[in-house]
Amino acid sequence: MMCSGEGLLASPLNEVLGAHRDTILKSSRKSIGPAITALAESGLKSAEVTLEIWRDKDMWYRASDDKFYRVQGDDVFDLASGQRIATFVKDEYKQIKPNSGVRAIISSALVGFHLNSTDRDKRLAAIKSIQRNPKPEHLLTLKASITEESDADLLDIKSQLLQILTIQYGTTPQNRIAAIEAVSRSLSLDIRAALNPILATELRLGDAIPESANLVRILTPGTDGFPVKTAYDMLVGQKLATPIPTTADFLTALEDNIDAARVGDVPVAQLFDPEKRLEAYEVLQKQGLAPKRPSEAEVLSAVNSYIFYEQYLEENAAVTGAAEKALRSIETKVNLFRTVDLGLDALSLASIYFLAAIGLAITFGVMGVINMAHGEFIMMGAYTGYVIQQIIPDHTISIIVAVPVAFMVTFGAGVAMERLVIRWLYNRPLETLLATFGISIALQQIAKNIFGTQARPLTSPEWLGGSWVINDVVSISYIRIAIFAMALLFFAVFLFIIKRSRLGLETRAVTQNPSMASAMGINPDRVNMLTFGLGSGVAGIAGVAIGLFAKVTSEMGNDYIVQSFMSVVVGGVGNIWGALAGATLVGFMQKGIEWFNPSNTLAAQTYMILFVIIFIQFRPRGIIALKGRAAGD
Amino acid sequence: MTASHYRRNALIFVLILSLFTVLVSALSAGAGSDVIATSFIKTLGKTLCLALVAIAMDLIWGYAGILSLGHFAFFALGGYMIGMWLMYERTKDIVTQSLNQATIPPTDQEIIDGIGTQIFGVVGSNEFPVIWMFADSLIAQALLIILVPALLAYLFGWFAFRSRVTGVYLSILTQAFTLALSLYLFQNESGLRGNNGLSGLQNLPYVDANQDLVSLWFFWASAVALGFGYLGASYVVSGKFGSVMRAIRDNEARVRFLGYKVETYKLAVFVGTAIIAAIAGALYYPQAGIVNPAEMAPIASIYLAVWVAIGGRGRLYGSVIGAIIVSLLSTWFTGGQAPDLSFGVFTLKWVDWWQVLLGVSFVLVTLYAPKGIGGLFDLLSRRGPSS
Repeated sequence: MMCSGEGLLASPLNEVLGAHRDTILKSSRKSIGPAITALAESGLKSAEVTLEIWRDKDMWYRASDDKFYRVQGDDVFDLASGQRIATFVKDEYKQIKPNSGVRAIISSALVGFHLNSTDRDKRLAAIKSIQRNPKPEHLLTLKASITEESDADLLDIKSQLLQILTIQYGTTPQNRIAAIEAVSRSLSLDIRAALNPILATELRLGDAIPESANLVRILTPGTDGFPVKTAYDMLVGQKLATPIPTTADFLTALEDNIDAARVGDVPVAQLFDPEKRLEAYEVLQKQGLAPKRPSEAEVLSAVNSYIFYEQYLEENAAVTGAAEKALRSIETKVNLFRTVDLGLDALSLASIYFLAAIGLAITFGVMGVINMAHGEFIMMGAYTGYVIQQIIPDHTISIIVAVPVAFMVTFGAGVAMERLVIRWLYNRPLETLLATFGISIALQQIAKNIFGTQARPLTSPEWLGGSWVINDVVSISYIRIAIFAMALLFFAVFLFIIKRSRLGLETRAVTQNPSMASAMGINPDRVNMLTFGLGSGVAGIAGVAIGLFAKVTSEMGNDYIVQSFMSVVVGGVGNIWGALAGATLVGFMQKGIEWFNPSNTLAAQTYMILFVIIFIQFRPRGIIALKGRAAGD
Repeated sequence: MTASHYRRNALIFVLILSLFTVLVSALSAGAGSDVIATSFIKTLGKTLCLALVAIAMDLIWGYAGILSLGHFAFFALGGYMIGMWLMYERTKDIVTQSLNQATIPPTDQEIIDGIGTQIFGVVGSNEFPVIWMFADSLIAQALLIILVPALLAYLFGWFAFRSRVTGVYLSILTQAFTLALSLYLFQNESGLRGNNGLSGLQNLPYVDANQDLVSLWFFWASAVALGFGYLGASYVVSGKFGSVMRAIRDNEARVRFLGYKVETYKLAVFVGTAIIAAIAGALYYPQAGIVNPAEMAPIASIYLAVWVAIGGRGRLYGSVIGAIIVSLLSTWFTGGQAPDLSFGVFTLKWVDWWQVLLGVSFVLVTLYAPKGIGGLFDLLSRRGPSS
């Protein structure tokens, strides 16, 4: 559309705007609706741009030719064509300043345009905006836009949104019921959120139940969680009964009427007795000095003269029925998937415990050396990972480097500890326990002195961030999957080392009979040293893995030491299978108990430990008990 | 060591303790002197309580050979039991006074509600849990100091000893038990104010005395308890019961074959020492002023073992010496009073390094001086091993 000079052709846009000139100029939230609707539904190409200009307060009105323009800086543009037509002279124009209420209505109208935008991001933003703030008028726009949608992902989201909108604002009950039935297999949180408001109820009272009421149930005061007091309060709220004075009012009435240390003939000093207080109040009430306080019988008869009932806010019984049915079927499915999710959680917890316990399974389980500083080896591994991340900024490389370095550091620490302390204490388990405790205390404090008390982060590489979302209920973070895989790998590697390798053979020989092993040419000192180093080294690697999802502190070892020992003891001392069984049992137990009382992990740990104590009663040697000579006694 | 030796040692011990108590009392602020500050009286009183629980630890570990890592839990439980009474009565005192200001005298229910709000406000509740039903009665609560730890110790010990869990396994089980108890008390739902614990215990209700005096009373009470505890323990270990305990420590199977009911003996020692620990705790926490679940963390029980090991287990005076020396040193070092050591570039701050020193010395004692400080006495008197 070309325009020449000041003479503008009467464009359809200006016709629409002109028709609503007064309301636009008035710019009131209450009256602006028709103007915006008219513009939005005009079918004009320029309608969307105009709405945006209007919203951004760039639309100005010129009284001389009774038209609207866009003004930017010193230039005046035509709304429809976007062509510059004049230089801005302030006195000639009047700015249209929509307030926030009007802007919200404009934005809502714009959503319809954006749904069909060629820009995918704009479409997504429009969908999000509807999700945040759904309105009945979106239903048709959305429906229309679905046929045009080319992107498969967006189409899914739009279809789901359409279902939700139909459920809420569908024109006929049949439409809505059909939509409800269609979603009854979905697990989406949005769907559940859309279904729940349909089942919203309210308490009502009256002389009789109206025919039209979509009744949930009739409530009898004094039963099923509906105390007489609540019923009476409802009556008071509807001004159908006199209120019961509050405790404060009650006391004020007594206080205000003290006369010569007596209230209504009762001495004030006796008012510590509730009976006497009532007595005094009775007197005051009879004298008209205190507000009336209905007796219990009065309360009861007032309550009994009305019918109390609960009804759905939604009037159509078929719709609420369908919603209830859909929610029930969704609930069943959600519960099923929750169980699956819980199972995954338990599995990942079990693999963490297994990682923490596998080193112990070797040092304590196979060698019989109780190492209370095992938790501190885990901590050392985690701090090694932290230090390496400070040196190598790339998270992927640093983790790849950290794993072997952590192994070497804790392997060295383990060997040093075995050489310096533990070898002098073989066959004196209690002394070993105490000495390693001393080491544990010292190591914790040294770590605190070096790294401070605040938690240090060990950042996982990017590709381990996020989670694998199966549906709205079941999801598992990649880091947990990685830990699970790591636990399996370690299990296989150590099973191989102990059962198939030379070192494993020698370890088992030395554990069972050191002097005989020595006679066969095995050096028990060397084997013990290496085995202990191996067990400690694994703790270091476990430390890196645990540090990736838990905070690295000097006291982190404490969190795992008891659970690790539990895993080994419950599983059965002496082999790696035992540690696996133990960690699995402990992990699943803990999650299982949490399931009964989800808000309370402390309670879960408490009961888990109690369970282990009792479990030991029945299987003192653990789940997988060694038999015969290998059992070692 | 014969019974007469025990008698002699006990006499010497009680004599030293009495002299010490009289001396400290005379120099305290409560007696009008200002040589020893009230805070230090409290430290001394607390140390005596720790010595008492160390005796319990020595009985169960040094004599019966059961390394319990749970006796500090009984200690803290004792503190909780007396703490409930102290806190209830003190709050009641305050609430009653403030309610009596009102024109209308308060009903009993109002007072109880007021106390409940005061005590449980921090955990978002104002109702009294069932376990507080005896909190208003000193006698009942004092009985609970003994009954609750005894019952717990009995149940745990019965389960553990019956299934013949021994040695390291038992130690780990006791540690787990302690952890479970402390985790339980950390919950707000446990009814003992969760991680806030019980506080303000240093104030005696209904008694108009300043802290100078109160701390002295508690110091005396601790000294008396320690004296009787030592005498009692000394009596027990010098008799037949003591011989059986040592025999179980040295060879459990042989004692069982001789016809002794090993489990019963162990259970008796376990429960008895739990009671001693609880009494020590009930005297300790009013001097400390606060008891919370962190007190019974497993590490506390390990420190207890550290004291006894450094002092010398298997001899009662050893455990007392260990507890006193290590806990006083610990206070001194962690309190920042110890002078820092400077090595040019590196300054060794004792506040930071005391724990390391403690850990390392613990390892060294285990390795090279299993008799601990008590071993020095053997060298002095040139006598053989004690037991």
